[in-house]
Amino acid sequence: MVAAPRFKDALEILAKHRVDLVVVGGVAAVLNGAPIATFDLDVVHARSPDNLDRLAAALTDLEARYRDPGGRNLRPEPAGLAGDGHHLLLTRCGPVDVLGQIGHGRRYEDLLPDSLAISVGSAVVRVLGLSTLIRTKEEAGREKDLAVLGILRQTLQETGEK
Amino acid sequence: MDSSEPASGVAAMPDDGDASLIRWMLSLTPEARLAVLQGFVDSAAELGNGRGT
Repeated sequence: MVAAPRFKDALEILAKHRVDLVVVGGVAAVLNGAPIATFDLDVVHARSPDNLDRLAAALTDLEARYRDPGGRNLRPEPAGLAGDGHHLLLTRCGPVDVLGQIGHGRRYEDLLPDSLAISVGSAVVRVLGLSTLIRTKEEAGREKDLAVLGILRQTLQETGEK
Repeated sequence: MDSSEPASGVAAMPDDGDASLIRWMLSLTPEARLAVLQGFVDSAAELGNGRGT
């Protein structure tokens, strides 16, 4: 049985393990005030060796496994998390996507300056700002990204930011 | 306790697209926004499990 998303719990566990990451995707959009729906938590992580170890510990705590179409029970390893790829996981707090980069090759270090510190429960997490979130979705250009661009742009307009 | 008042005399608002919804979301704290999303997800899960009302 797939666990239903529990966004706050997932963020608190990642914060408990002191994982350096930026929240992106739909949850970042919602935290920025956009009224959209999503079922997974997307994060871009720092890929220093220490952070990969902390991330792996957090993912063990979250009981993370790959969303493997073949039904294999594959857990993420630090070495595999060091690359640019996307790790699409199921956890006890719902689907979590751990992303090496987004858009046109934007890594953690590229996104961090455009992120905000936001309190969620007992955690303080870095969340990608709305204007950069919009740019990354424009760059990704997938149908699912393009589908929410209108409401993200309207939200940005309402905030008065550029 | 419900402190709402009847909306007598208030005309229906024009269709503003999603602007009023966005303004309402922006009036919330980030944590409250996440709670709105969590509530949506929980409701969808209940409906999927056949427990919806």
